[in-house]
Amino acid sequence: MIRHNEPPSFAVKAIRACGLVLLAYTLAMTFLVPLGPGLDQVEVLRSQITEQGGQYELRIAGLGTHFSTSQPKVFITARNILDGEQTVLSATHLKVADDTHLLCRVRLPKVVPAMSWNVYVNGAGDGTVSYANGFYATGLEAAPKSGLKDDKYVLSTLQEADLPFHFPFQPNIMESIRNLMLHVPMWFTMFLLMGISFAQSLRVLRLGGNPDRDRRAVAAVKVGLWFGVLGLLTGSLWARWTWGAWWVDDPQLNGAFVTVMVYAGYLVLRGSIQEPKLRERLAAVYNLFGFLLLVVLLMVLPRFTESLHPGKGGNPAFSSYDLDSALRAVFYPAVLGWMILGTWMYAVALKVERLRANLDEARTHRGSWRAQLMIPALLLPAQATQGGQLEALFFADGKMPVVVGVAVIIGVGLTVWWAIHLRRIRQLQLAWDALPSTDTTSEADSQFSDHTPLQDADTTNP
Amino acid sequence: MRHTLFLFRHMWRAEMKSKHGLAGLLLFAVATVYAVYQVVQGRPDPETWNAMTWVILLFTAFNGVSRSLEEDRPEVLAYLRTTVNPIHYILARMMHHVAILAGLACAVAAFMGLLLGWATLEGARLAAFVGGMALTALALGTTLTLLSLIAARAGAGFGLTAILGLPLVLPIVLVSTSLGDDLIRGVIVSDTAIYFAFLGVLALGSGTLGVVLFPYLWRAS
Repeated sequence: MIRHNEPPSFAVKAIRACGLVLLAYTLAMTFLVPLGPGLDQVEVLRSQITEQGGQYELRIAGLGTHFSTSQPKVFITARNILDGEQTVLSATHLKVADDTHLLCRVRLPKVVPAMSWNVYVNGAGDGTVSYANGFYATGLEAAPKSGLKDDKYVLSTLQEADLPFHFPFQPNIMESIRNLMLHVPMWFTMFLLMGISFAQSLRVLRLGGNPDRDRRAVAAVKVGLWFGVLGLLTGSLWARWTWGAWWVDDPQLNGAFVTVMVYAGYLVLRGSIQEPKLRERLAAVYNLFGFLLLVVLLMVLPRFTESLHPGKGGNPAFSSYDLDSALRAVFYPAVLGWMILGTWMYAVALKVERLRANLDEARTHRGSWRAQLMIPALLLPAQATQGGQLEALFFADGKMPVVVGVAVIIGVGLTVWWAIHLRRIRQLQLAWDALPSTDTTSEADSQFSDHTPLQDADTTNP
Repeated sequence: MRHTLFLFRHMWRAEMKSKHGLAGLLLFAVATVYAVYQVVQGRPDPETWNAMTWVILLFTAFNGVSRSLEEDRPEVLAYLRTTVNPIHYILARMMHHVAILAGLACAVAAFMGLLLGWATLEGARLAAFVGGMALTALALGTTLTLLSLIAARAGAGFGLTAILGLPLVLPIVLVSTSLGDDLIRGVIVSDTAIYFAFLGVLALGSGTLGVVLFPYLWRAS
């Protein structure tokens, strides 16, 4: 039986169609949903320190805000070092320059309860936007008690936000929060594929025999590695413009790197064994050992360490703080869509493996044999470089170019993958059709069906 | 257990019969320490000392496990396959590797101390550091045993063991280096118990995995 000629069933086609719809939805939402308003920068333009205290002139830059129409109010807060009580101060002399810039003044006594203040702007429509530790009161002394006049009443006059469906604004991350739908599902898909590979390797060892199980395992690893490398590349690009370096020392990154290395090792191991039966079994043993150890190392170890990734350093789960309802509404469909695409690619890769195996088998009978060796290219990004133009380019428009870059990496990566595999399938099918006689086919097939029962008998009697 | 111990004694006796194998490992470790001593010229700063120690231990460990024993000859293996239970064999092999690696760890520690000093370690923290090295040797030994057997089965030696093993032992090395770092910075010994527990769990886990998976490697075809 040559299984590669079977067309996919209706259910499979329907699921794939669903996957494409989900991906279309994901991409549309990723790029079309607006980002909520937020504060980009708070600058102290001038400060005047006298015996009575300090007067500071602040320039506040927002992103996606509507200062000119929202009648903004500005206030700053700080938490008292000693009793943890919050002090609120209103800013005066508000001057709105345009929708995203405004000037204001704050007056502080000589002795203030904390040096560092959070800056808030409240306005109609935009609601309250903030910049943590945006204003540092230099030149004044800090003291636990200061007798500061408190403007707590501002908190009761705040205006509600009235915004369309939007992604939450996070300082520093800004527009690049959209990468959540592109970068993170790469890893989910990779884990799914490695899980498939694990299950197939388990079947190779438990049930033995059928070389098709081994082919499934290796096809899943190859597609999973592709997703892993895309995850590394996109993550590297995102990290450069949020954390400032192409690669940082972080348990999540170490884990990702180790995973990719382990599966690259899996392929190298396969490449270094000629005998198919031995290769099948050794690769399966290494796959199981590697996967289980990875689970221990990557699920347990990161909980003991701090990380730059959200939700780490204790509990690697999405907290409500990191993932709000708007993000969820796009993120979960995105994960599902990418996973369906991943399994589809797995099916294609499996088809390639089967075609190639059948062809090799047929050619072996005719005396020619060709070894296949795949060494995956691993791209290790170097440390941060200082590129002034790049800097300006990627920080523009609230880091939107980062999202575009990530999407381009994934798009190019997946396009290349599909181009390679469709071309390979065509070539293999042509080569198959070009094989001279029909005898070789039946011989190859009979060999397949022959050793399955034999091997099963072997497994039951170790 | 009796069979395991018998096999272990047998491997050890084979090792003793041709002592140059062990001597070669020891020479590698000592020569590496000496090369490091020549490069850093005297006392390195504690962080460098820590990193050097673990890296030397790591490479010595890879050397130690990827060596083939006399009984890895195909004829001997064919004989063993018919007579020995694979679980006893892998356990004996692990014990053998762990014994060698623990000895090498102590040798590395002693020579580092002799040539490069002990960084800031002394008393209980020094004992904890050496204990940590021994426990790391245990974790490395159990993890690398299966991998080196896979590599040996594939007909490749050191290179393949390193390719398969390095990524998997990287987290172990991360734990060990942070343990060493903490001890050198003067953290009290009882506060580093979590690292010891983690190394122990890793050794246990990879040992169990090896025992479960090895029988599939053992079969003839």
